[in-house]
Amino acid sequence: MRTLAALLAVFALAVLGVQLSFSAATEAPADFTFLNGTEPRTLDPGVMTGAPEGRIADALFEGLTRREARTLRPVPGVAESWEISPDGRTYVFHLRADARWSDGTPVTAHDFAWAWRRLEDPARGAEYAYILHMVKGAEIFNTWGAQADALAGPVPEALAALAPGDLDARTWQAFVVEQRLADRTAGTPDAWLAAQLERGRGLGAGERERFVAALGDEARRRRAAFDQAAARFGRDLGVQARGPRTLMVELVAPTPYFLELTAFYPAYPVSRAAVEAHPQDWFLPGHIVSNGPFELERWRVNHKLRLVRSDSYWDRDAIRLASIDALPIENGTTMLNLYLTGGADWLPGGYPSDLVDALKTRPDFYSGPGMVVYYYRFNCERPPFDDVRVREAISIAIDRREIVEDVLGLGQIPAYHLVPPGMTGYTPPESRAVRDVARARRLLAEAGYPGGKGFPAVGILFNTSESHKKIAEVIADQLRRTLGIAVNAYNQEWQGYQASVRAGDYDMARAGWIGDYLDPNTFLDMWVTGGGNNQTGWGDALYDGLIRAAADVESWSARPEPLLARLREPGEARVRLAALRGASDAATRLEAAARLRMQLLQEAEAILVQDAFPVMPIYFYVVSGLVSPQVRGFYARLQAEDGTWVANLQDLHPLRDLWIEREPER
Amino acid sequence: MGRVLKRLAVLVPSMVALIFVTTLLMYQAPGSPFANEKVASPEVEAALRAQYGIPDSATAFFWVYMKRLVREGTLGPAIKVQGRSVEELLLPALPVSLSLGLLALLIATGLGLLLGVRAGLRPNSWSDHGSMALAMVGISLPNFVIGAGFMILFGLALGWLPVAGWGDARHLVMPALTLALPYAAVIARLARGGTLEVMQQDFIRTARAKGLPERTVVWKHALPGALVPVVSFLGPAAAGILTGSFVVETLFGVPGMGQWFVKGALNRDYSVVLGTAIFYFGMITLFNLLVDLAYAWLDPRVRESS
Repeated sequence: MRTLAALLAVFALAVLGVQLSFSAATEAPADFTFLNGTEPRTLDPGVMTGAPEGRIADALFEGLTRREARTLRPVPGVAESWEISPDGRTYVFHLRADARWSDGTPVTAHDFAWAWRRLEDPARGAEYAYILHMVKGAEIFNTWGAQADALAGPVPEALAALAPGDLDARTWQAFVVEQRLADRTAGTPDAWLAAQLERGRGLGAGERERFVAALGDEARRRRAAFDQAAARFGRDLGVQARGPRTLMVELVAPTPYFLELTAFYPAYPVSRAAVEAHPQDWFLPGHIVSNGPFELERWRVNHKLRLVRSDSYWDRDAIRLASIDALPIENGTTMLNLYLTGGADWLPGGYPSDLVDALKTRPDFYSGPGMVVYYYRFNCERPPFDDVRVREAISIAIDRREIVEDVLGLGQIPAYHLVPPGMTGYTPPESRAVRDVARARRLLAEAGYPGGKGFPAVGILFNTSESHKKIAEVIADQLRRTLGIAVNAYNQEWQGYQASVRAGDYDMARAGWIGDYLDPNTFLDMWVTGGGNNQTGWGDALYDGLIRAAADVESWSARPEPLLARLREPGEARVRLAALRGASDAATRLEAAARLRMQLLQEAEAILVQDAFPVMPIYFYVVSGLVSPQVRGFYARLQAEDGTWVANLQDLHPLRDLWIEREPER
Repeated sequence: MGRVLKRLAVLVPSMVALIFVTTLLMYQAPGSPFANEKVASPEVEAALRAQYGIPDSATAFFWVYMKRLVREGTLGPAIKVQGRSVEELLLPALPVSLSLGLLALLIATGLGLLLGVRAGLRPNSWSDHGSMALAMVGISLPNFVIGAGFMILFGLALGWLPVAGWGDARHLVMPALTLALPYAAVIARLARGGTLEVMQQDFIRTARAKGLPERTVVWKHALPGALVPVVSFLGPAAAGILTGSFVVETLFGVPGMGQWFVKGALNRDYSVVLGTAIFYFGMITLFNLLVDLAYAWLDPRVRESS
């Protein structure tokens, strides 16, 4: 009987517990429910990275511009109009009078200036700070302080710790890369200093003292510039409020995609009052102040996040959804099951890849090319991949068609270069990475491994996933069959994999890169020597020069040599350069500058896919998902200016523009 | 009483040891809370570390953590979920996991006892062999297979129950069943063994000889003895259900502690991992203590010997 009593007591406890946990949870479903794929880490637009956070941010906040759903072109958001100076470097935005925060206060230009300063503040370590580095003073404010400190202290100390005497090219280059000197002295007016960092050079004993002195001078220069920028950025430098409703932005160089960036969440305004009241958790329900079409009603971590239509939004009459639920479920099978049983209206990818064949015939399935490239990195500092012939041999020996058709099966495009198709105005260079097994064998023999003999066993590292595994195994098999080399595919979970790649502890490593904006630069500027996202140990002074020149074509065009002479198509570049110089009015000038810029970027990519092969592009992603036919305002394909339907490369589907037409049967 | 006090006295130092060892192990794992695809420069990472109070070395972190725990009584800020403290995240998850776990334990015990005692009372009959075969299947199948099977059957094919999520009683059914079944199977086998053993004892023969109805013989005299192996298994069963909840909660999208354990580890969110480790340690210790007490309660011989 005691047992019975005990059992009853436990049962009562259980019932109580259930009641407790349910009382907080039961409520009516929202108008629209979607699976966000993961829990947003934060809702602070100045801190967040990642598409799941972005979807929520785009609903809670609004930037100067926003992306209109059908075309994804930037249209007025908080800014109702703007003027761009003839040279493309100055923007003046006029904010609308009825833009309000959810606490009733008006959204002002000061909010934007303050938010952008906050984004670039080096103390905050925002990961997307680099996205606004084309604003005057932003890069200096964000990075030069730490660089000056490094150049003044740790770098000379590290140099002193090296063996005395002449430093051969290998040792010196290792030092340059490890200390990220190219990054830290980029744009220095000291030509001698820049020359010492070029690849293939060593550092003579006699030059060392001069180098340290040059570092000191550079450190002082950067410190002075930083102090200026820190005092003035967001106040009267780069971005400034000229009045409560006038925001002026000055750019370092004309940037064709700038209005897209003002619609991207790092550039969203934040409420200074809210942030200063609750610095750590101002974005939580109860504290959050937002200016977008929706407000945050409830956020139960691991359960759901609920948004409701905002009453203070200036365009509230255009918003047709009263409430939205974002579910953070991560398990692919569970997500799919939830969608299939009507528990969610939209599944933006994330379903188990094995089911692609079964799902792609469904009418509610959508897919299209995405602005994402899947590639392998080579560890260019470790034999055998320190030999470019080996890298080229591998790149041209694999069969991308087999991977795309047999393993993936969703119409992915084999990638012979890095920049995905669909970038208007950009023509990718011809690639030498096309399949040529005979040439691959010859190159391998030339490198000293005829028939694969003597080739060390190498590994392909990938982060844990069924599809990465399949691809890696297919590639390993292809290399074994065609080149006779032993390749072993192995995996680590995400964090471990990241750490290994960053530490250079790999031979070949799988990677993916999503473009941040519709411009080739987002795929190319990461490969500069010592760049944070490079992680291959490869670097090339010409490549760095091209990326820098493309970032500010006007300044480069004033002194185009010696870069111009080293281009592979100097003739074409000269033509475009002449067009730029001969431009009669500002509009022509901007267009000529844009064309020249694209040419330079093409030259840069050519280095990657014709000469150096530090990475091996494999395919361009296809973005796909499932969306209920009752959902409207959802554009799987976008309408281009000429009326044709083109791919939604960035896979953006703003929640603001969606609505549902449900049959009243539930 | 003495036994209880002894147990509780050991709890605090062993908790501290747990925190220390866990911290050491976490710092051994490659990666850090701040690793990301869009790589941050070392300066950015240093700034983030300062912001969250995550020093570079394990021992430094241990002191920071313990000081904060003792002085402010908080488990620290979560890193991967900005703006919330660990207890803010874990406390709402607690009743969810507890209710799921307790329900699973109840189902496991009830179902297991039912099947096992019945089998023990009719050894070598068809129902005995049948239940034990079923038990074998339940023990052998991993819980994500059982769970997925339920999801397909009840969620997709029949549409009786919601596939995932949390909100009302219907969301409890599949996760609780999935958690319970493997343990029901073990309990069934244990109960069967215990019943068989007890039914052979002399005092059962005496009770029957006294003329007591069979039902009284079973309920009042045999069952408590048969329960002994079951009760001693409840401690590990509870631990198993708690850890099994990692998979089941992830599968069914239940916002409980199990998900936090997994996420914290995968994200290298040191504070969350420590918070969940402390919780699980506490729960398992408490449960084992309760089981010990129940054991003493059920079997007077244990009481006498202590």
